[in-house]
Amino acid sequence: MAGVGYLGLRNAIQCLKSARSTASLQHYSASAAAGPHYPGIVESTDEYRFVERLIPPPGFQSPQTPAVPRPAAGHPPQRSPSLPCAVRRSRMHNIPVYTDITHGNRKMTVIRKISGDIWALEQEVKSYLTQVTGKCPPTQVNEVTMSIRVKGYYDTELKAWLTEKGF
Amino acid sequence: MSVSKNTGGKGLDLLRNLPRISLANLRPNPGAKKAEKRRGRGAHGGSRSGRGHKGQRQRGNRPRLGFEGGQTPFYLVIPKYGYNEGHSRRPQYQPLSLNRLQYLIDLGRIDPTQPIDLTQLVNGRGVTLQPLKRDYGVQLVEEGADTFSAKVNIEVQMASECAIAAIEKNGGIITTGFYDPRSLSLLCKPVPFFMRGQPIPKRMLPGEDLVPYYTDSKNRGYLSDPAKIQQARLELARKYGYVLPDVTKDELFHMLTARKDPRQIFFGLAPGWVVNMAEKKILKPTDEKLLSYYSS
Repeated sequence: MAGVGYLGLRNAIQCLKSARSTASLQHYSASAAAGPHYPGIVESTDEYRFVERLIPPPGFQSPQTPAVPRPAAGHPPQRSPSLPCAVRRSRMHNIPVYTDITHGNRKMTVIRKISGDIWALEQEVKSYLTQVTGKCPPTQVNEVTMSIRVKGYYDTELKAWLTEKGF
Repeated sequence: MSVSKNTGGKGLDLLRNLPRISLANLRPNPGAKKAEKRRGRGAHGGSRSGRGHKGQRQRGNRPRLGFEGGQTPFYLVIPKYGYNEGHSRRPQYQPLSLNRLQYLIDLGRIDPTQPIDLTQLVNGRGVTLQPLKRDYGVQLVEEGADTFSAKVNIEVQMASECAIAAIEKNGGIITTGFYDPRSLSLLCKPVPFFMRGQPIPKRMLPGEDLVPYYTDSKNRGYLSDPAKIQQARLELARKYGYVLPDVTKDELFHMLTARKDPRQIFFGLAPGWVVNMAEKKILKPTDEKLLSYYSS
C-alpha cells in the first residue's frame, strides 16, 4: 500500500526521457515559421517557469506575527517602544546579539546596532544580568561602533530580554 | 523612532571641553605597560645575569629542541602515518542542521511547498558552499531533530540516519544525490551559468567510492531501488518508534514524489537545453546525435 507512492517515480523518469524527444518534434512545426530560422533548434517558453524558480530573490521581508507560534523563528519587533535607546534588527530580521571568543578561553557577548542612550542600556543590561546570575559582569561600551561587550556567554538570556522589551 | 544615533557620544563631548591634548597630559591606563626585565643589573653587579653556573646553560651551547641526550627522541620514535595525506583532495560536505532548516522555513526563506534543492537552500541564504574548495554538497545533521516539524521534499548530498528519520516522521521525503563539482557550481549559481549561453551539461555519476553510498536504500540514495527505499522507510519507522505517515494520501503527493533524473541538474530542465534569460526562452536541440548523447 505504502509502496504505491514510488510507482510514479520510475514513470516520471521515463516520461522525462521520452518528453525530451517528443516535445521538441511537436514544437518544431509550430515555431518553424516564426522569426529567424535556426534549423537545429526548437524554442519554447513552457519550461521557463522552472528557470524563474532558480533565480534568487533580492531580499527578504520582515516576517509578520505568525498565527501558530514558531519558536525557531523568534518574534518580530513590536512597533515603537518609547525607550531612550533602540536596538535595530539585523538584515535577516534577527536580534543583533553575538558571542565572541578570543585566546580560546575569553568568552564575551556583544550587543550591536544600538542607537540612543547607550549608557542607560548598559546600566539596564548590568542590572538584568546581576538579577539572573547573582554577580555583576564587567561590560565595555564602545561609543563609536555603538555596541556593548559583556564578559561571559549570555546570548540566549540577552536575546530573550531584548525581544521581551520589544526590540 | 524618537532616538537618534549619537556616534562618539560622551567621548566626543569630553574632547570638545577639555584642554588641548599633548604628550604632557596623556598617559597609559595603570597596569597597561609592564616594565621589562633587564638582565645583568641585580645584586653583586648581576654576576651571572640569570644564566646559572657553568656548563652548556651558561655558555649558550645547549643542543637543538627535541634532543634527548642521545636517546631516540619522541618525534623519531613515533612512526609516520598518512593521517592527513590527501586531506586537501577529500570531499567536504557543509553541515545543515534540522534546527537551521526549521528556522529557514519558519522565516519564509525556504518554501516547503516546492521541492527543496541545494539551489533553494543557497537562494534562501541558508548555506554557503564553495565548490572550488572541494565542497561536494550539503549533509543533513540531526541537531534539532526533536523540535523539527516541517513536511518537506528535500534533496541533500549526505544525511545521517536520525535526520532521515526526523524528516520522514513528519511526512516528508528525503533523497541523497551526487553532484560532480561542475554540476554543483551550476546548482549553487544557476544565473551566471545561464548568462553564459552554454547548454546545460549532464550530471556525472558518482565515482566508485561513492557508488555504494548512493545505491544503498538506507541512505535514500538516488540510484537505489524505489521498492527497497519503501522497505527501508518502514524499517526506520520501526527502529525509531514512530508511525510512518502515508505519502500517497497527502494533498502534496505530486510535489513530494517529484525527483530528478540521475543525469538532470535542475528541476524541469533537461541537459542539452540552452536558457535565454533576456528573451525568457529555452532552446532545445533537435539533432539526433545530440539528443542521444544528452539522454544517455
